Amino acid sequence: MRHDVARKRRPAFTHLIWWFLFAQGGIIAAILIPVHVLVQGILGPLHIVPVVDRHYDTWIRFLGNPIVKLYLLVLIAAPFFHFAHRLRYLLVDLGVPAARTLPAQAVFYGGAVVITGVTFWVLLTTAPLSFG
Amino acid sequence: METVTSDVVKEPPGSAEAASAGSAPRVYKPEMPLGWWLRQRHYFLYIVREFTALPLALWLLWLLFEIQRASTGPKGYYPPESAAFVVFSVIVLGFALYHSYTFLSLAGVIINIKLLDKPIPSRVIVLSQFAAWFVASVVIAAVLIGFAR
Repeated sequence: MRHDVARKRRPAFTHLIWWFLFAQGGIIAAILIPVHVLVQGILGPLHIVPVVDRHYDTWIRFLGNPIVKLYLLVLIAAPFFHFAHRLRYLLVDLGVPAARTLPAQAVFYGGAVVITGVTFWVLLTTAPLSFG
Repeated sequence: METVTSDVVKEPPGSAEAASAGSAPRVYKPEMPLGWWLRQRHYFLYIVREFTALPLALWLLWLLFEIQRASTGPKGYYPPESAAFVVFSVIVLGFALYHSYTFLSLAGVIINIKLLDKPIPSRVIVLSQFAAWFVASVVIAAVLIGFAR
């Protein structure tokens, strides 16, 4: 009996990790994404302000900075753990109960892991590291 | 938070026998019509909040593609210019602002900090989140514009 009680009280570490990633991804998306969309998606293309990605030389030098690489990894990868959870439950709410299943979880959270890997690879291979 | 529909309640043990005996137990089967989220403004806004993930994900994938395109070299690189892209970004910005507003407002409910044995009012916590958003936005905009030529 005592053994059963001890097992029931074990913290759910898997839930802890996924909820942590969900919350962190949500706050990173909330604080960082709008300004990128506004500056790089609207003001830059409309030539209202100069933006670093408008010219190859400024963009490639910017992407070579290790702090920028780390920042972009967090900016792009972290929100996908939030999106994976939201989109999975959006499907459940819209009448797709299959989105609750283990294969669906593997697809959505696995997708976030894959995007993290691809982002890591793109950031490492696109621009050589430069500290200047 | 997300769970509006729920699983069909499992039939209690022995229900098959009871059904065959002619007194079928009443099993609760909640069924949500397809357009349930259009019935009330709150349901609609809830679904919009959850949906914000999709346009934001698409925009971040575009950003990743934009970074990857820099590997093509100076001759192959051209910045995004099309009106379609600007329209796409305007739509995404609407969803992004809605995500920020709803998510940062939640902080007042989730975060519970005590200072000198007194809980910090949720309004103060929410305001600090919005202040952090504002400061981060100004800094990022300054960097994105400052490193341009």
